[in-house]
Amino acid sequence: MSQTPSQSGSSKGALRHEWVLLMVVALEWLYFNSVGPRFGTLENSFDILRHSVEIGLLALVMTPIIISGGIDLSLGSLLGLCAVVFGKLWRDGGFSPAAAATCTLALGAVAGGLNASLITWLRLPPLIVTLGTYSLFRGLAEAITHGADTFTNFPDAFLALGQERFLGVPTQAHLFILVAGVMWLLLHRTTLGRTVRAIGFSPEGARHAGLPVGRRLASVYVLAGLIAALAAIIYTARLGQARADAGTGYELFAITAVVLGGTSIFGGIGTLHGTLLGIAAIAILNNGLVHARLPREAAGVLTGALLLLALSGTVIPQLWNARRARRRRHPAPASPSSPP
Amino acid sequence: MKNLLGLALSACLLATGCTKSPPASAGADHEGRITVALLPKSKGNAYFISCKAGAEKAAQALGIDLLFDGPTDTDPAKQNEIVENWITLGVDVIAAACDNREGISTALRKAQDRGIKVITYDADALPDARTFFVNQATPEGIAHALMDEAARLLNREGEFAIILATLTAANQQEWRHHIEARLAEKYPKMTLVAVRPCDDLKDKAQSEATALLSAHPNLRLLMNICSPAVPGAAEAVKQAGKVGQVKVIGLGLPNENRRYVKEGVTDSVILWKTEDLGYLTVEAAVALAKGTLKPGDRTFKSGALGEFEIRGDNILLGEPFVFNRENIDQFDF
Repeated sequence: MSQTPSQSGSSKGALRHEWVLLMVVALEWLYFNSVGPRFGTLENSFDILRHSVEIGLLALVMTPIIISGGIDLSLGSLLGLCAVVFGKLWRDGGFSPAAAATCTLALGAVAGGLNASLITWLRLPPLIVTLGTYSLFRGLAEAITHGADTFTNFPDAFLALGQERFLGVPTQAHLFILVAGVMWLLLHRTTLGRTVRAIGFSPEGARHAGLPVGRRLASVYVLAGLIAALAAIIYTARLGQARADAGTGYELFAITAVVLGGTSIFGGIGTLHGTLLGIAAIAILNNGLVHARLPREAAGVLTGALLLLALSGTVIPQLWNARRARRRRHPAPASPSSPP
Repeated sequence: MKNLLGLALSACLLATGCTKSPPASAGADHEGRITVALLPKSKGNAYFISCKAGAEKAAQALGIDLLFDGPTDTDPAKQNEIVENWITLGVDVIAAACDNREGISTALRKAQDRGIKVITYDADALPDARTFFVNQATPEGIAHALMDEAARLLNREGEFAIILATLTAANQQEWRHHIEARLAEKYPKMTLVAVRPCDDLKDKAQSEATALLSAHPNLRLLMNICSPAVPGAAEAVKQAGKVGQVKVIGLGLPNENRRYVKEGVTDSVILWKTEDLGYLTVEAAVALAKGTLKPGDRTFKSGALGEFEIRGDNILLGEPFVFNRENIDQFDF
C-alpha cells in the first residue's frame, strides 16, 4: 500500500461506502418501481434528471471544496444573484441570451474569486467567509429586483436549454454530464485533485511540502462560482423565470449529497462518483415518494435517516476493526479478566 | 454491513409505505376514476388546508381520486416540480393556486400539451396556461361587501377610516377605488376621513389605529383591508377603551380574529368560504375532464352549492362571506 494520503485514506473505507450507497440507490429504484407504475418510465427518469441538475452541479463543485477541508455556503445565494443578473441583462440591458449568459458566467467566477481571495489571502475560515457572502449575494439579488421584480418571457430558443431534449435526453443533462466528467478528471486524475486532498488532510503539511495551497484553494472556489452561474442559467431556462429567491437552500442540499456520497466533512477523503450516487439517492427518493403516493414531507425525514445510516454504516465497521486491532495488539495479560 | 443497511432502508421505506398509502390507490391508472391533483401555494397554510377540506368533500361526493401536494419550503421551483411529477403520474386534471404566475405557467402549459386539463384557483396563472380560473372574489365584490357592511353597522352615517397594507400595492389600490366609488354612489352621509398604510404589519396597524382614534374623535368605524390590520386595529380600540363606540371590520381569516369577534371588539370579518372554494374547484375540474364544462359556458351548476356565474374564463365563487359573532365558531381556518 503506498503512503500517499489519497490512497491510504480513501481506497478501502470510501470504496465500501460507495458500494453501500449504490445498493441503497438500487433498492430505492426497485421499491419505487414496484409501487409506482410510471416510476420506471424513461420519461420519469428524465424528470428526475431535469430536477436534480442544478443542485447536482452545486454538489459536483462542492465536492473538491469539502475535500479541501472547506465549505461554501454561498452557492445557493450566488445562484439567485446570477439568475437575477442574467434576467436583468437580457430584459433591461438588451443583451442576447448568449451574451447575458457569458456575462453571468463571468460574474459567477468573480463572485467565487471574492470567496477565494478572502479565504486564501486573509486566511479567514471558509465557513465564516461564505456565511458572509451567503447574505451578501442574496441581498444583492433582492436589491436588484427590489424583492418583487420577476424576469420572464424568455425566448423559446433559450428555454429549450431547460425544457426540451437534445439528442433524446434533456438538454441540460449534456451540460451536467460534461461538468461531471471534467470534475471527475480534475479530482481523480490531476495534480489539482491530489493537492486538494493533501490540503484537506493537513493544510500546514501541504504548505511545508511546498504545494501552492493558496492558488489551488482559490481555483476550487472560483470554479464553484462559475458552475453556480451555469446552474443559475439552467434554472432560469427550466422555470422560465428568474427571481431573487431562486436557489434558496440549495447549498444545504448540495452539501447533503456530497456528505452522503462519502466525502468527509473534515476534508481529505471523498470521491466524485460518491457525490453522483449521493445526488441520485436523494433525487430518486424525492421523486419516488410522489409515485408511491407518500407524503412529500417524508423526503426530509428519509433523507436525514439515509444520511445518518449511510454515515454510521461506514464508520461502525472502522471502529469495529480498530477495536479488534487494539485487542490483538494488547492481548489478555494486560487485563486480569479476559473478555469472553 | 451492506445487508444490514439495505435492510434498514427497505424497512424504513416499507414502514412508511404500509402506514401511509391507501392499499387500493397505488397508481394513477384507476379504471375510469378521474384523478384531480390540487396544488396549494403552500401546504401548511391554514387557508389552503381549509380549501383542501372542501376539495375532499367534493372528491367523495363525486367518487374521484384527489391528490393534494404543495411546497413545504420557500423554493420557488417546487411547484413546477410537483406539477411535472403529476404529468408523469398521468393525472386527469391539475388545479393550481399559483405562487409564481409566470414560472408555473411553463409547467402548466406542458401539462396541457400532454392532454391534462388545467384550471387555477385562488391565484391565477397566465391565461394560456389554463382553461378556467375559479375566482374567489372580484375587486368590486370585496369592496362592496366591506362598504355595505360598514354602512349597515353605522346606519349609513358617520366618519370612518381605512387602514390598508401599502398605498401602492395594486390590489389595495383597486379595492380602495371601488370602496370610494360605492361610498360616493350610495352613502352620502358617510365620510372617509383618513386612509393610512400599515405595511402589512400588525403592530404598525395598531399604532396607526391609535393615532386615528385620538386625531378623529368622531370616528365611528375602522375598515381594515389587509389581514394583519384587523386584529391590530381591534387591539388599539380595546386598549383605548372605545369598544362599541368605534367599530372594527376588515378582510381577514376567522382564526386571527376569533378572540376580538367574541369579545365584541371586531364586528365582522369578511372573506370567502375557503371550503366552498376547494369544493367548487374540484367540481369544476371534474366537469372539465368529463366535458360537461367547456370554454364559452356562461354558468356552472354545482351539485351542492347551486349555480355559479362564469365571466369570460373566470368561474366566480360569488359574494364574499361575512363572519360575525353568530357564525364564526362554525369555521376553523
